[in-house]
Amino acid sequence: MVIRIAAVGDVHLDEDVVGRFRPALEELPDCADVLLLAGDLTRHGTESEARCVAQEFGDLGVPVITVLGNHDHQCDQVPQVVKVLEDAGITVLEGTGVVLECSGGRLGVAGVKGFGGGFAGRCASDFGEPEMKAFVQTTKDSADSLGAALRGLDCDLLVALTHYSPVPDTLAGEPLEIYPFLGCYQLGQAIDSAPTALALHGHAHHGTERGTTPGGVRVRNVAHPVIKQAYSIFHLGDHLE
Amino acid sequence: MTGQHGGAPPDEYVEAEIQSMLAEDPDVAEQGITVVRRERGLVLYGEVESPHRREEILRRVAERFPDLPITSDIGVIRTQAPSQVEELP
Ligand SMILES: [Fe+2]
Ligand SMILES: [Fe+2]
Repeated sequence: MVIRIAAVGDVHLDEDVVGRFRPALEELPDCADVLLLAGDLTRHGTESEARCVAQEFGDLGVPVITVLGNHDHQCDQVPQVVKVLEDAGITVLEGTGVVLECSGGRLGVAGVKGFGGGFAGRCASDFGEPEMKAFVQTTKDSADSLGAALRGLDCDLLVALTHYSPVPDTLAGEPLEIYPFLGCYQLGQAIDSAPTALALHGHAHHGTERGTTPGGVRVRNVAHPVIKQAYSIFHLGDHLE
Repeated sequence: MTGQHGGAPPDEYVEAEIQSMLAEDPDVAEQGITVVRRERGLVLYGEVESPHRREEILRRVAERFPDLPITSDIGVIRTQAPSQVEELP
């Protein structure tokens, strides 16, 4: 029994991009059980850009689940963006999870945007100025909500969906100096706190596709500039019998 | 002192200003463009989602630094359906 997951992140839609993904997306019902979007759906997070996302990624014939990215926060219109997406049937996760009945089993997806902070030994500390503490608290809260969402799902196969990266592996290709803005180890720790089978993220446009958490969970960077195709497809769960 | 570069090679501050402009200018909003300083000007690398965005980047940089020689090697990311799947155990 196999569960087929299609995924892409960082499509950064606006009117100039509408229609570019659609021919490939029309093939999804034949090749995937679900489409996961790893955030940065828009350029600036406006309601009108969200309508472009709804147009491009709505009515695909497979469930679509997303997290938001930092770009989707730019114009402070998150509630409006979420409403437009949900009206188009797209599920938006933020520290929450959902279980889908697929022919290959019950697929659980927990998602959160995540945040920066850096990786073990090279990260921001909860110390000093209030701005620094607020930064690190955002990192911790985000990771905690992902961990709780992952551990709360009852399913056959568990997938974590984030915008920021849970590991440094998939950032290879980005300048080392900006790693702390691209992800944090706390997301990896959250993923490892549950029986997660796969972790998908975006955000690192110059990164690489493959990595693993310290706990051995496979991580894939599905940012569009990294995968260089409309979406990637993963087949999981051959071991479920 | 930016914007005037009669022949002098662009310095780090020009590079930083272009990077911030590309990320923060609402008409661009790209964080995935790499600016490389060469002896004779700048080279812009990266990938964007549409030909329109590539033109807009070049237009904005040329507008801000009219005397700076700029070469662009920015691609538009392909959107074909995948030809292979990844099997995970
Ligand atoms: Fe992005
Ligand atoms: Fe991002």
